Amino acid sequence: MTSQQVGIVLTIVAHEDVHLSIVKQKGDWGDAYQKKAAVVRLSRADLEKLALKDGAKVEMSTAAGSVVVTARSDATGEPGVGFMPSSLHTNRLKSYDPGSAISPGKHIEARVMPAEKGITLVAGLIVRRNRA
Amino acid sequence: MTSRTLVCTGCGCLCDDIQVETDGANLGKIENACAKGAAYLQDTFNPERRNKSSIRGQSCSSEAAVEEAARLLSKAKHRLIFGLDNSTLETQALAIELARKLGAVIDDASSFSYGPLVESIIKKELPTCSLSEVKDKADLLLYWGANPTATHPRHLSKYTYYAYADFNPAGWYPKVTLSTIDVRQTELTAMAKPAFKIKPRGDRELIAGILAESPTPTDQAKQLSELIRKSRFCAVFCGLGLVHSLGGDFTGFTRMVRMLSQSIRVAVIPMIAETNMLGFSQSLHDKSGYVNSVSFANSVSHGREFSFPEQVHHQAADCILVVGSDPFSALPQSLMSRLQGVDILCLDHFSTLTTEAADVVLPTAVPGVESGGNVVRLDGDKTALAEPIKDGYPTQEAILRQLLETVRP
Repeated sequence: MTSQQVGIVLTIVAHEDVHLSIVKQKGDWGDAYQKKAAVVRLSRADLEKLALKDGAKVEMSTAAGSVVVTARSDATGEPGVGFMPSSLHTNRLKSYDPGSAISPGKHIEARVMPAEKGITLVAGLIVRRNRA
Repeated sequence: MTSRTLVCTGCGCLCDDIQVETDGANLGKIENACAKGAAYLQDTFNPERRNKSSIRGQSCSSEAAVEEAARLLSKAKHRLIFGLDNSTLETQALAIELARKLGAVIDDASSFSYGPLVESIIKKELPTCSLSEVKDKADLLLYWGANPTATHPRHLSKYTYYAYADFNPAGWYPKVTLSTIDVRQTELTAMAKPAFKIKPRGDRELIAGILAESPTPTDQAKQLSELIRKSRFCAVFCGLGLVHSLGGDFTGFTRMVRMLSQSIRVAVIPMIAETNMLGFSQSLHDKSGYVNSVSFANSVSHGREFSFPEQVHHQAADCILVVGSDPFSALPQSLMSRLQGVDILCLDHFSTLTTEAADVVLPTAVPGVESGGNVVRLDGDKTALAEPIKDGYPTQEAILRQLLETVRP
């Protein structure tokens, strides 16, 4: 089995993004949010392992859930580490660790593999409640 | 339109030099605000971004919303009050009083972010100083796991690097050393000389190296140690990158700061993004002895089990009052999905995913624009907000006072 078939496990670091903060402040949960949030920056080495080019789609999975996002090449990135802006997409991937001192954290261990599905839409990531 | 000066409550910087033109209903020119602050101010004047009173999605009068909130809080058996990091000290004091009256749990976002660091600062286990002490005096600015260009856009220009009076005319470089410790390259690391790039969760190893507790200290630890030791006054700005890497355990970091403080001055300032998290931590500490995660059910109890995420995970609360916070956009979906069947009441000025999910929405005035009061900046400096320039919404304080008068424990 190749990396393209089984994917690779990476540490994804969620970080703040001022442009995404502004889009969120404006209450725009549509295309503008999607474009800023549904992106992971991967090292060139990891993109090569996955036989992907800049702009390809990847599926990221954890025990909590999965999302499909756009992979961007990070010229300064280290193999084994990816970066994503903190968003509803990273919230889907994060697990809550009961009892830990600081949880949820900024680090997510995720399996990343090439995807053919469409980018995960924001609408599907919003927690809806059944109000009586 | 007339020109007014405001304190921006868009982030923890609390910039007090924001000039706006307004006639009370419309916003004209904004000066000095960053992009984040400008978006915040523009939304204040945008009716589509403001909340309307509602009960289970149906519009209602503000009186009806307050009445329903009081009814739900009164009938609940386990109440939780959460948020308040963007509220004034006056609002926070009333919320703590409400929690005490109801025997409720009260918590803020510091329980899963800056809590341990803030607690160390409040208890004076870590030295700190005001941003006015930093400017022109600190000769080393060390941003650790922090990127103010993303979180506090004017931090460098108003308070630190670019605010220095002295600069090297050849290139206008301020006469201060700017250094960073981060896991990725950012706009800030590109300016830093030197920038220390570390591996995710590599902060503990770096600290051990500086403490000379690592048998094989890295070159980075040696270089950083030398950089700090040759400074006179090092201001360390701690971001969430450091907090999460250390898992909230600042024991080693505190020992490192104390060791370095024997030869130079070191001051630690948390890069809190919220308007008044430090104020909430201080207020709750004054009233209960703890900075967050407090239950008033039986006198005063404190523990991780009273943090918002633990309360949600264990479905411990049957009614949650959220004040000026948006946990539905900030916390894992697997966690927030556990809130089915819980009554959620939300006080907020802007529409958020949490107001969309709430059973009762209570619109409120924007602090600093539509209401006054006091807040505590991220460096501990108490700041009075300007007189309101706009009205039309009740203050958080007024609503909490109404609830305090009407709820039954």
